[in-house]
Amino acid sequence: MGNDGPPPRSSRARTYTRFVRTLVTLHPRRFATAVAGAFVFAVCTVASSVAVQWVIDHVIVPRFEQGDVAVSTVAAGCVMIVGIGLLRAGGVVVRRSFAGITSWRVAESVTNEITDRYLTQPTSWHRRQSEGQLVARAGVDVDTTISVLGPIPFATGTIVMMVVAAVWLIATDVVMGVAAVAVFPLLMIANVVYQHRVDRHFDDAQEALGRFSGAVHESFEAVQLVKAYGAGRRETERLSALAHDIRDARIRAVHLRGTFEALLEMVPSLANIGLVVLGAVRVRSGAVTIGELSGFVYMFTLLIFPLRLVGYALSELPHSYAGYQRVREVLDDPLDDDPVNSIGVPGDGSAVVLDRVSFVHHGDTTEVVREASVRIAPGTVTAFVGPTAAGKSTLIDLLAGLLQPTSGTVRLPVGRRAVVFQEAFLFGGTIRENVRLDEPLDDDRVWDALRLACADGFVGELPDGLDTLVGERGVTLSGGQRQRIALARALARRPGLLLLDDTTSALDPATELAVLTNLRTSLAGTTVVMVASRPSTIALADDVLFVEQGRIVAHGPHQRLMQESPAYRRLVEAFEADRGGDEFDAASRAFSGGRP
Amino acid sequence: MTEPIGRFSAAGTIGRGLEEAPVLRQGLGVTWLLAAGGAGGRVIVPIVVQQAIDRGIAGADDIDLRVVVWCAVIGVVAQVAAAICQRAAIIRLGTRSEQALSDLRTRLIGHIHRISLADHNEERRGALVARVTSDIETLAEFFRWGGLAWLIDGTLMLIVAAVMLAYNWLLAMIAIAIAIPLFLALRIVQRYLVAAYDRARDRNANMLATMTELVSGAETIRAYDAAAMFTERARAAVKGRADTQIRAGVIGAFLFPLGEVFSVVTIATIVAVGVALGPGGGLTAGALVGFIFLTYRFLEPIAEFTEVLDQTQTAVAGLRRVLTVLDIPAGPPPPESPRPLPAGRLDLTIADVTFSYRSRSGRGTSDEIVLDRVSAHIPAGQQVALVGATGSGKTTLGRLIARLADPVTGTVRLGGVPLVQVDDDELRRRLVVVAQEPFLFDDTVLANILFARLDATRADAERIVDEIEVRDWVDALPDGLDTRVGERGDSLSAGERQLVALLRAGIADPDVLLLDEATSSVDALTEVRTSRALAKLAAGRTTIAIAHRLSTAARADRVLVLEGGRLVEDGPHEALIGAGGTYQRLYEAWLSATSS
Repeated sequence: MGNDGPPPRSSRARTYTRFVRTLVTLHPRRFATAVAGAFVFAVCTVASSVAVQWVIDHVIVPRFEQGDVAVSTVAAGCVMIVGIGLLRAGGVVVRRSFAGITSWRVAESVTNEITDRYLTQPTSWHRRQSEGQLVARAGVDVDTTISVLGPIPFATGTIVMMVVAAVWLIATDVVMGVAAVAVFPLLMIANVVYQHRVDRHFDDAQEALGRFSGAVHESFEAVQLVKAYGAGRRETERLSALAHDIRDARIRAVHLRGTFEALLEMVPSLANIGLVVLGAVRVRSGAVTIGELSGFVYMFTLLIFPLRLVGYALSELPHSYAGYQRVREVLDDPLDDDPVNSIGVPGDGSAVVLDRVSFVHHGDTTEVVREASVRIAPGTVTAFVGPTAAGKSTLIDLLAGLLQPTSGTVRLPVGRRAVVFQEAFLFGGTIRENVRLDEPLDDDRVWDALRLACADGFVGELPDGLDTLVGERGVTLSGGQRQRIALARALARRPGLLLLDDTTSALDPATELAVLTNLRTSLAGTTVVMVASRPSTIALADDVLFVEQGRIVAHGPHQRLMQESPAYRRLVEAFEADRGGDEFDAASRAFSGGRP
Repeated sequence: MTEPIGRFSAAGTIGRGLEEAPVLRQGLGVTWLLAAGGAGGRVIVPIVVQQAIDRGIAGADDIDLRVVVWCAVIGVVAQVAAAICQRAAIIRLGTRSEQALSDLRTRLIGHIHRISLADHNEERRGALVARVTSDIETLAEFFRWGGLAWLIDGTLMLIVAAVMLAYNWLLAMIAIAIAIPLFLALRIVQRYLVAAYDRARDRNANMLATMTELVSGAETIRAYDAAAMFTERARAAVKGRADTQIRAGVIGAFLFPLGEVFSVVTIATIVAVGVALGPGGGLTAGALVGFIFLTYRFLEPIAEFTEVLDQTQTAVAGLRRVLTVLDIPAGPPPPESPRPLPAGRLDLTIADVTFSYRSRSGRGTSDEIVLDRVSAHIPAGQQVALVGATGSGKTTLGRLIARLADPVTGTVRLGGVPLVQVDDDELRRRLVVVAQEPFLFDDTVLANILFARLDATRADAERIVDEIEVRDWVDALPDGLDTRVGERGDSLSAGERQLVALLRAGIADPDVLLLDEATSSVDALTEVRTSRALAKLAAGRTTIAIAHRLSTAARADRVLVLEGGRLVEDGPHEALIGAGGTYQRLYEAWLSATSS
């Protein structure tokens, strides 16, 4: 389980510093540029206050009290104000641009690291993870991790600015300086406290929103059921209660926000008024000029906003850190053994040898495959037949080198293996790319494979042929069509061993028959091992392995097992009764003129 | 009733929105006054500084502390009052808007559950969920920031402009004149920024899609040794996202500094003009200094406003989409004076029924006829199978019988009472639909069964379990009836989900049972159990099965054959087999398909 909580208070500062340093050292020069921009901004902010003060003392007051001022002095004042302003603006542009560059390049580096890890971990590891969680690690968690990098240069700059401002204020007048500087930490603490407290409500609201969205989705998905049982009102009430949770959390947040916004607006203003009174006393005693007093006030106005952002940056740290911890979890999880390394070579010329192979899922105790031993001759077609959850798919995964036996050995001759899963995996690319993957196959080879998989027909009819994009941004293919592309991918490699995990069940019976006949005629040398549940598919196999509760309980030709094993006969008969509907529906589709 | 909004203007949309959310309108005037009071607070400090300098500190030979203190006291009181106003305004607006949005969510859900099933389909479900969640969130976001900004910053700018005009109209006009090109420049940058963020969002979605592929295709990638290719794809997607995000960030980096540049130009201009005018122009040193502070206050919110304007557009678009859903007409209307159904088993009369689905564009006359003048009488207790090819209208006829939609012409009568005159609650008690792919909530088996009847108890559920003879199955579940079924019932097999649906129907104890048979196959052993449970449940009840399997049709008392929306044959299985009609052809097609 992830430790999403903040580290213990005592070591918190050190932990967070180390965390930020880890991220920043991925792209240190960009980060340094951002901080430099923030420095320029900070220094110019103080300087602009000095400039305003200078203008008041040397331009405005002389003009109104002595009646005259040199044009060059006015011009100098104006140039100073505009010049410093431009420099300050430039600082902001540099700081924000480079903070963004740092953040996103760090995100890129971290995401690439995650990608590499995902592609290195073998199937056994992937089977233990939830896909959604893995995507979240590379998506939102990385985003959360870098969210602190934006405000950090700014916060650094602001702290510098406060130090410079404090020195300047105290140097100008010790009494007023100390009074003003005392307000800074007060505001900072108030900000951090506010952010911390309001975040809890925002988190509550966010969580409530998540629950609500999930429930709304489920409820609309269930609309037919809800209507059928007249439960519309009940559903509305149920969801409305969830909507109220969002509302209540947000109203709690808004109360807090109202109080703090008002306070954060009021406190600096009151401090400012106090400074004016104090300033009047100091002006009377001749300690400061009117210009210096105005400078103080101006400085305050400039500091309030950055101070608030520092509070925000600090409150962002724990979130970021928690996100990064979740990312580290997948990165630091030890690599599973690669099962391919454990596969041996058969000494007797068999195409497949399982020698007392057992398999238990990680963290589980029940054996999914128990002491399976079998030899399969080259060039034959073998079908795994058995009830749901008998262990057929696991056997295929073991043969494909995707899972490693808990005990026993898998032996396969050296050569190409190809596996096609129950659910076809197509990615968002062209049909050609989907068939080829990493292999540089020419188009003839691709078309040959498509023809064997009975996919050349519909691919030929697609507007862009092999260049047609599939997936979200391309054409939508039916389950059967996807399956045939996946099959073509396997066939294009001319494998010595072809593993089919109930692959053809998504096809209608006629197409399935055609595909399997093609396999028999064109891939004579290929050993085929497949999971089958249609009587017509089973009938095509040379041999059947009857699997029950992880054990291979019978091995032989279909006809012989029908006679010798009553359990096998019952299962196949049940398949037949079950498939009756299928055939009937397919027949009626054909009858109504629709192409199967 | 309110008018449909169609393509109404932004103002029309907002007006209609206020009408739908009366809570928002209540006390809006008071909220605005409070916001004005709060905004007033922000001009206090510049005024106090000006007054204190002019009357207490500057000009006179001796500094008058009493005047300074009085100014300060008035300033403090006003500042505290402003803070109280601001807090009240924030809380009022926040509370009202959250309440209004919560009401709107509830109304939307209620409405969506009332609209006809014809308006619910796979493609639109996501959109409907988005209406209730993300579209309302754009409104919430608007109220949290934009709404508040309009209220407080808008008022502040007006007040500051008024104060500036009161000090000196010429200087005020300069400040306002410079603000106009600033605003326009900001709008241009804003537009680029929006486009840049659109691209960034697009690339972000692309990256997440690539990550999802990588994770869900992990097995295939491994089995085909294609890691290098997918690493490259992921690298490109991750870099693409970082590049677009950085681009957007750099454009955004110019937004705030632009305001800064205009601020210093304004201040320099005002100083130059103010000094040129001198005391002769009725200007004082304090007023000019105060002006510098006011300028800052005046220009500060403009950058924020450009963002707010954008957010406002988004919110109005969201509101428009929400209102469009409220304009979808509700499903079959409830009867004005409902007639009770007779007690006991019910017969069903379908009299000259015609139906067509509403086309998306509206109520076009060219809509395809799905059912064409269908008539049949089904005596109480009869078991009927509806048979026909895909698109024959059998599913639609089922929907009309269940009153999930009303026929365009013709009548469906249950126990002699037209369905349109039956109270919906009573209809749902007496007639139950068991769907093809039964929907299960992510809850326990028990909760899913009890969904059928609000007052049903665990004991009722236990009784039904025995009645339809599925005790052995329930006992084999890890936690019996308390076993959680997972999202959409994913932890159960398809057959088991059907068993839960049958138990749910059993609890409702209906007089009429409408079965939409599964096309997909279930595992053979569960199939036996399901058929037995179904036979038990159907016994003695008027049962209409939308049949996809020939075996179901063969078992029924009577078969109704639909073709192209017409009832073409009606009789028992044995009679139709030899009748030389549609059914016979379907049957023969089935026979030849299974014998090959």
